[in-house]
Amino acid sequence: MGAGTLTYAVEHTTTLRYSDTVIRSYNEVRLRPPDRGTQRTLSFALSSDPMTEAASRVDYYGNIVHRVDVTTRHRALSLRADCVVQNEPVRLRSPTRWAPGTLRLDPRLDYALASPRVPLGPSTRTLLDEWCGDDRSFNALLHVADRIRTEYRYDKGATTVQSGIDELLAGGGGVCQDFTHLFLAVARHAGWPARYTSGYVAPKDDQKTVEGQSHAWAEVCGTDGHWLGIDPTHGGQVGQHHVRLAVGRDYGSVAPHHGLFYGDAVAAPPEVSVRVTRLEGRVSERPERVTEMMWNQQAEQQQQWSSDQPASAAPFRK
Amino acid sequence: MESVENRGHRPVRSDEVTILAIPPALASDADECVDDAGTVRPAYRDVLEGWAASTRSMEAARATTQRHFTEHGITFGSPNGKPAAIFPFDPIPRVIESDEWTFLERGLAQRAMALDAFVSDCYTSQRALRNGAVPAHLVYSSSGYLRDLVGVRPPRATWCHIAGIDVVRVNGSLHILEDNVRCPSGIVYALEARAAMTAAAPSLIATTGVRPLDEYPERLRRILERIAPRPWDASIVVLTPGPYNAAYYEHRVLADHIGAAIATGSDLIVHEDEVWRRTPSGELARVDVIYSRVNAEWLDPLVFRPDSLLGAPGIIDAWRRGNVAIANAPGTGVADDKGIYPYVPAMVRYYLGEDPLIDNIPTYDLEKPAQLQHVLSSLDRMVLKPVDASGGYGIEFGHLLSAAQREDLRRRICAEPRSWLAQEMVQLSKAVCLTEEGTFEARAVDLRPFVLIDERPWIVPGGLTRVAADTQTLVVNSSQGGGSKDTWVLER
Repeated sequence: MGAGTLTYAVEHTTTLRYSDTVIRSYNEVRLRPPDRGTQRTLSFALSSDPMTEAASRVDYYGNIVHRVDVTTRHRALSLRADCVVQNEPVRLRSPTRWAPGTLRLDPRLDYALASPRVPLGPSTRTLLDEWCGDDRSFNALLHVADRIRTEYRYDKGATTVQSGIDELLAGGGGVCQDFTHLFLAVARHAGWPARYTSGYVAPKDDQKTVEGQSHAWAEVCGTDGHWLGIDPTHGGQVGQHHVRLAVGRDYGSVAPHHGLFYGDAVAAPPEVSVRVTRLEGRVSERPERVTEMMWNQQAEQQQQWSSDQPASAAPFRK
Repeated sequence: MESVENRGHRPVRSDEVTILAIPPALASDADECVDDAGTVRPAYRDVLEGWAASTRSMEAARATTQRHFTEHGITFGSPNGKPAAIFPFDPIPRVIESDEWTFLERGLAQRAMALDAFVSDCYTSQRALRNGAVPAHLVYSSSGYLRDLVGVRPPRATWCHIAGIDVVRVNGSLHILEDNVRCPSGIVYALEARAAMTAAAPSLIATTGVRPLDEYPERLRRILERIAPRPWDASIVVLTPGPYNAAYYEHRVLADHIGAAIATGSDLIVHEDEVWRRTPSGELARVDVIYSRVNAEWLDPLVFRPDSLLGAPGIIDAWRRGNVAIANAPGTGVADDKGIYPYVPAMVRYYLGEDPLIDNIPTYDLEKPAQLQHVLSSLDRMVLKPVDASGGYGIEFGHLLSAAQREDLRRRICAEPRSWLAQEMVQLSKAVCLTEEGTFEARAVDLRPFVLIDERPWIVPGGLTRVAADTQTLVVNSSQGGGSKDTWVLER
């Protein structure tokens, strides 16, 4: 653990409640933070109530996905991820944009094109021209994030998880998901590979624990191949206080949970609670490292399932 | 004797059998059957000059084939909820000489191998994209490119087990009109067409020397068994969207032919990454192979469309873990994308190192400004197809549009050039068909041969010859009211 390393404990609980008993449910969660760049996951445990088993895989974007099937009758499902994450200080860089045409043969081109939740229409194109003129540099992107933060109001009631960029543009208000989608559209218009990042914002130095929601921001990739975070909700480049969870072309590829169930019931919107605690001092490394090795060797064995939690659910009815 | 003043299409009586004269106007039009000099092509001599020329045999053939189609309930339903209609059938066969067939077989095998290699490449190393053989942005913007499937290794590393590649003849030479490697339909209609013709003209088939089709079901069964996780006891289901699907008849009959059960999504359930089927008696039976006639994005609501009721949650993970095989593999839609079609000849060169034997129809890449301009300025000679539709839906023929409609189309193309494929309007070859009134008419035809890919491709000798609904219609598609003919590949 180098100087300046910060360690966080994250507890992320998703509870799904059904109007009636369901026969079985299938769930996919993306709750395991990756080991990438300056971030390391020291320990991770996923538990569920009702108790069941999970299998994991790595998706197209490099995210770790767990499949959690509950094959017994239940009226609620609770999924809880506990992890300890370490963040090295982020070296601030100023990457160079890809020259026109150079992305043509690169797989990262996939992040520079429109995606289902980030259409590249004329309205976002106009914003790029208006905000940046001819400037397509990394600094221009920081400016875009700043403009989004100042020109749109943070308003939880203005949009839903299904909302598109148009709703943000029309209503002038939204949340981190909408701000990020808008940022991605403008950055992609400017020729940058840009991806959606989900995660958490950790407490600043004077706080020990924050409770709240997941957060979202963007990452852009320059010619040096590094993905750098930009947060259009808070403005500026992402540093050590952002804990990355999953990346994708847009929200559609990073959703922390989605699922289905068999049964004659209706699912309530999932209840999500997130607690991020800054751990002081030196965190004992050994047990986590062991867990980490096991993780790499046989991910399935790593799950610890407990039954001391409320019961569970899926947002969609089959 | 009837009046000799026949106006071309009228029957001429000779002895007691009425001989239908092929009117000169028709002869010059029916280039599939008649050469430039007006002589019936050798392949068609037995059929047109002897058999079809007699009213009695035509009437009998029509009656027999219609009875066959009605008695067997052979339908191709309209998906708009109209009742499924008896598949219109023309009793005059399409005949293909053996030399031409040999050429077609080689060209189709080549194309199918290249398509399969391409799909496999898209979901593994994407070498053609990094080399620029196929533009990467076309794949990344294709609705058929399913990112969740990248990295999956299906059994035998084959993705496209069954391909239906549409072939048309333009100015005398064969061209590929489109590739279907998702859920190509039509083989059962081809088999039924043969059964109907065998009933109607058994001796003609025997004396002409027509290659049989009946190997197809067994070959299909064999390739499905070979990809099964438990090949010694493979339990196969044909997964159908259900009785409301236009091709349901085919799904049902094909299941019978290959000894498979027919199932809809609600009959399947995934338990511990294995797929099980509820049998009609209510028991659960393990499924090894899904012959899927449901497009991939409907297969698994957990991975793709969450609103789909046509599949079952968990199927994709079961497949990913090798506990069930799916044919065609999910994800093959990327090769069906009409935006990719212009690059299939390049795939043949890239993956096989061969020159394509059968070329595409002249096609324009609307994302290249010069080609876009050319298309916009000559819309009246163009056919515009939506890239992700099939069944002949949404196709615009430039010359049929009013000035206002053309302007509207231009606007739609410019707004989303990636969504359209522009092809020059071509005149498809026409074959002699029998009208309701008992006269002859030349109508446009295409051919859908079926390729099965095992270790090497095998092409059923024949296929579905589709016929335009009338002399003027340009789209040849079963969903657009066209009919079909039996396709005879000559033994020599």
